[in-house]
Amino acid sequence: MSQHWETSARALPNPGWGPLSALPGNPLMWVLILSEIVVFAAFFGLFAWLRAGEREVFDASQQLLDPVAGGINTLVLLTSGLCAALAVQAIGRGAKRRCRQWLGAAFALGVVFCVVKVVEYADKLGQGLMPETNTFFTFYYLLTGFHFAHVLFGLGLIALVAWRISHDNVETAAAFWHLVDLIWILLYPLIYLLR
Amino acid sequence: MGNIRNALRDTTTRRLLFTWAVLMGLTLIAMLSARLGGEARLAALPLWSAGLLLATTFFKAHRVLMVYLGLADASPAWRGAFVGLVLATLALVGSGYLVAQLA
Repeated sequence: MSQHWETSARALPNPGWGPLSALPGNPLMWVLILSEIVVFAAFFGLFAWLRAGEREVFDASQQLLDPVAGGINTLVLLTSGLCAALAVQAIGRGAKRRCRQWLGAAFALGVVFCVVKVVEYADKLGQGLMPETNTFFTFYYLLTGFHFAHVLFGLGLIALVAWRISHDNVETAAAFWHLVDLIWILLYPLIYLLR
Repeated sequence: MGNIRNALRDTTTRRLLFTWAVLMGLTLIAMLSARLGGEARLAALPLWSAGLLLATTFFKAHRVLMVYLGLADASPAWRGAFVGLVLATLALVGSGYLVAQLA
């Protein structure tokens, strides 16, 4: 019986972490991922609920956004996520130089995302569209701004692990970067496309 | 060039690249189904188009969770919890959308 438990424990990615033992990578990162998804889901739900009450305002405001720029940013972020995944794979093989190169590519694409977003913010602010303009723009700035803060934090993490490179560090930073991807995947259609 | 060829031979790399291609394709499908060009951009989306948009979003989120975040290696309970959370989020968004359209 005890031998069976030992075998099971060895098969788990993170033995000794209780219910989190069965998750791959850093278990604490999964706690963060779960809590972030819940927080964003609450905001998405609130946005959808308020849209139902002010459909004309939301639809007219959404027309002022650039969905193609948002789509390009989705493609950029997904490609950046691929680079982060390839960096994890490289460090798994012990190829530190290759890993740094993939991290560099992920970082560069993350910067491209930020540049597109800043141009978009500047354009909206230049048109006098502020967070207090209406409910749609309050949520637009809140949700995309909160996500943008995650992108900046993720870029800092990528830079840090490229400097202090190790398998655990790269895997943890990449997991955070994929969370940033995941949130944008959910955010993009809600804010830019559904009407 | 040799490095790229070696990488492509590796199953994990091929899986990552395939997932990336699927994600890019689904993003383009979502953009097309949202009718971003011309006069159609000003009109409300037909229900099938909104449904397709939410379905591609779910599939993209699913792929990121399973492949990029490696959730495919986790226990079925955790997989179910995360997939369920994404589904619940999209159901919430979809319900809000339907209520707005039908009001």
